[in-house]
Amino acid sequence: MPEPILKLEEVSKTYRTKGSMFGGRAAGLVKALQCVSLEVLKGEIFGLVGESGSGKTTAGRLIVKLESPESGRVLLNGEVLSTLRGRRLKAYRRRVQMIFQDPYQSLNPQLSIYESVVEPITIHRLAAGRERMERVLSMIQTVGLSPPESFVNRYPHQLSGGQRQRVAIARAMVLEPDFVVADEPTSMLDASYSAKIFNIILEMRKRFGITILFITHSLAAARYLCDRIAVIYRGHLMEVGTAAEVIHHPLHPYTRALIDALPKFGLAEQIPRYNTLLEEERAGVEAVGCPFFMRCRKAHRTQCGREVPGLEPVGPGRFVACFFPGNGGGAGGKGS
Amino acid sequence: MDNGERFDTSRMKRSHWAAHFLEGWSVFIQNPLGKAGVGLLILFGLMAAASVIPPWIDPMYRPMTGVDPEIVRSVGPSLKHWLGTDFMGRDLFSQLLAGARIAFMVGVSAAFMTVVLGTAIGMTAGYMGRTVDTLLMRLADIIMVMPTLLFVLMLAALFGQLNIWTIVLIIGLFRWPGVSRVIRSQTLSLKQRPFIEAARVAGASHLRIIFRHIMPNVLPLSFLYMTFRVTSAITIEAALAFLGFGDPGTVSWGMMLQWVWKTGHMFKAPYWLLPPGICISLITLSFYMLGRAMDEVLDPRLRKEEDA
Repeated sequence: MPEPILKLEEVSKTYRTKGSMFGGRAAGLVKALQCVSLEVLKGEIFGLVGESGSGKTTAGRLIVKLESPESGRVLLNGEVLSTLRGRRLKAYRRRVQMIFQDPYQSLNPQLSIYESVVEPITIHRLAAGRERMERVLSMIQTVGLSPPESFVNRYPHQLSGGQRQRVAIARAMVLEPDFVVADEPTSMLDASYSAKIFNIILEMRKRFGITILFITHSLAAARYLCDRIAVIYRGHLMEVGTAAEVIHHPLHPYTRALIDALPKFGLAEQIPRYNTLLEEERAGVEAVGCPFFMRCRKAHRTQCGREVPGLEPVGPGRFVACFFPGNGGGAGGKGS
Repeated sequence: MDNGERFDTSRMKRSHWAAHFLEGWSVFIQNPLGKAGVGLLILFGLMAAASVIPPWIDPMYRPMTGVDPEIVRSVGPSLKHWLGTDFMGRDLFSQLLAGARIAFMVGVSAAFMTVVLGTAIGMTAGYMGRTVDTLLMRLADIIMVMPTLLFVLMLAALFGQLNIWTIVLIIGLFRWPGVSRVIRSQTLSLKQRPFIEAARVAGASHLRIIFRHIMPNVLPLSFLYMTFRVTSAITIEAALAFLGFGDPGTVSWGMMLQWVWKTGHMFKAPYWLLPPGICISLITLSFYMLGRAMDEVLDPRLRKEEDA
C-alpha cells in the first residue's frame, strides 16, 4: 500500500462573519471544518465531495496554505504546514499547487498567457532563457493548447473559459508539483468541456505522478476521476471509501441523498431511489447532534439528535459517520 | 510532444500592446466627447507651443515685460495687437498664448504628483490593511476636509507671494486623498481575486504581487483620475491668481483676469476679459471630456451597442 503524502489531523476552521453595525445581522461563526482527519495516498486522485458551503474548498485552501487551521495539523510528507516560514515555505509552494474554480477570475487580465505560465518558473528560478521558454511552450502544448506559439501572446479575455482553465492548469503544472488541489475546475465550464479537462488531469497524473485532491460537488465527476472519495457535509466527513464502493454501495444517508440528486435518464418511477432526504428540515439543535440530523429521514430522534457520530470503520478502507449505516435506518424516521 | 521539441518561436506575435492600444484608441476617438476633448486639447497644445513665436518676432510681444512704446493704455484689437493690449500696453494675444503653457504646466505636473501620491498611498493602504490602512485613510480624511484654496491663501498671506512650483506642490499634496480612496478600494477588491491567490500559491512575494499583479490593474484608473485632477489643478491656480495670490512672475490666465479686475477694466474691455475666461472654461472642459471618454475605454459596460 502506498504511503500517505498528505494528512489532515483533526483540523478545524471557523470563519467569523461580521455583524452589521445597526442590528440587522448578529456576528456569527461559520464552522467550515470540524475535526476533519483524512489521509491522501501518494499518486492517487482523492475526491472531496459535498454541497456548497460544506467546507470542501476550505480544506483545499488550508492545504495550499492560503488559510491556516484553527486547530489540528496539516502535514505534507511529514512536514507540518503551520511551521513553514521563509525559504521552506517557498519550497513548499513549489511542491503544492492549486487549480482554481473560476478560470475567468484566476488569470490576471493584464498578463499574457506566456507571462502567466512563466511566472512560477521565474519565482522559483527553475530555468532561464531559452530553456524556460521551451518549458512553458511544451506545458501549454501538453494541456492541449496547440500550437502553443499562437496562444502565448494572447490575453485571457481572448480565450474561452475552457482554454483559460487549461492555461490555469499549465500554470499549476509547470512547477512539476507533487500535490495539486483542484477546486471544482469544471464547475464554470460547459459540460462537454469537463471531460476534456478531466482527461488532461488524468494525463498529468500519468506523466508526472502527481497526487491530486479533487474537490467537487458532483459524484459523477468524482466517480469518473477519483480513486477514493470522502463525502463532506457542514464541515464533517460523512463517508470515506473507494470511489466505486461509495457510489455503488453508499452507506450514509447523505451520500444516498447526493446519489438521488444525480440526474438520470429514464422514467422517474422505474429508477430506484434511496429517499433519505427530508422534504422539510426538522427542528433540532445542530450543535448537539449529527450534522445531518435535521435533513435525515432515517434519523433516530433520541440518538441522532443528541450525539455526534464518529467516523467509524465499517470495512477495509471504508469509514462512515452514522449510527445506522446502510439499510438499517433509525426506527423513528417519521420525524416531526 | 517531448520537452526536447523545438518550438518555432518566430511565429509568436509580439505586437499585442500596440493592438491593445489601437483598440482602445478607436473606441476613444469614436466617442464624441473624446473627439471634442482631443480636438480642443490639440488646439491648446498648439497655443502653448506657439507662445514662443511672438517674443521672437519682436521684443514688444514678450508677455510679461514687452510694452508697445506707442501705447501705454488698454486699447482694442488691431492688426498689430490681435486681441488688443492691457493697461500698460502689453500684447494680450501673446499673454493668452503664454497662459496656455502655464495652464498645461500647472495642470499636468500637479495632477501627476497627485496621482503618483494617491496611487502609492492607496495601494499601500489597501494591500497592507489593518493599522496601516486605518492610519493612512484617517490622514486622507483629514486632508480631504481641508479646503485647498483656503489653505493656499493662508500660506500666501503668511509667506507673501508664492512661486508657481510651490503652488503646484501644495495642490499635489492636498488633492491625493480622493485618488487614494478609489485606488484603495480597487486594491481591496483585487486582493480578493483568485489570480492574486494563484500568485501567492505560486510563491510570489508581496512586492511581486503588488507590482506585477495589482499595479497594472489599478494604473488605468489612476490615469483616468489624472485627467480629472488636471481640471481641478488648473481651476485652483486660476482662482488663486485671480484673487491676487498667484506667482507674480508668470503670466497665467488667472493673472490676466486679475489684471483686468484690478485696473478697473472689467466692464470696459471685453476683448481683455473674455479670452482668458473662455480659455479656462474650455481647457477644463476638454480635460473633463477626455476623462469621460477614457472612462468608456476602461469600462466596456459604458460602451453603446453598435447597431448591426
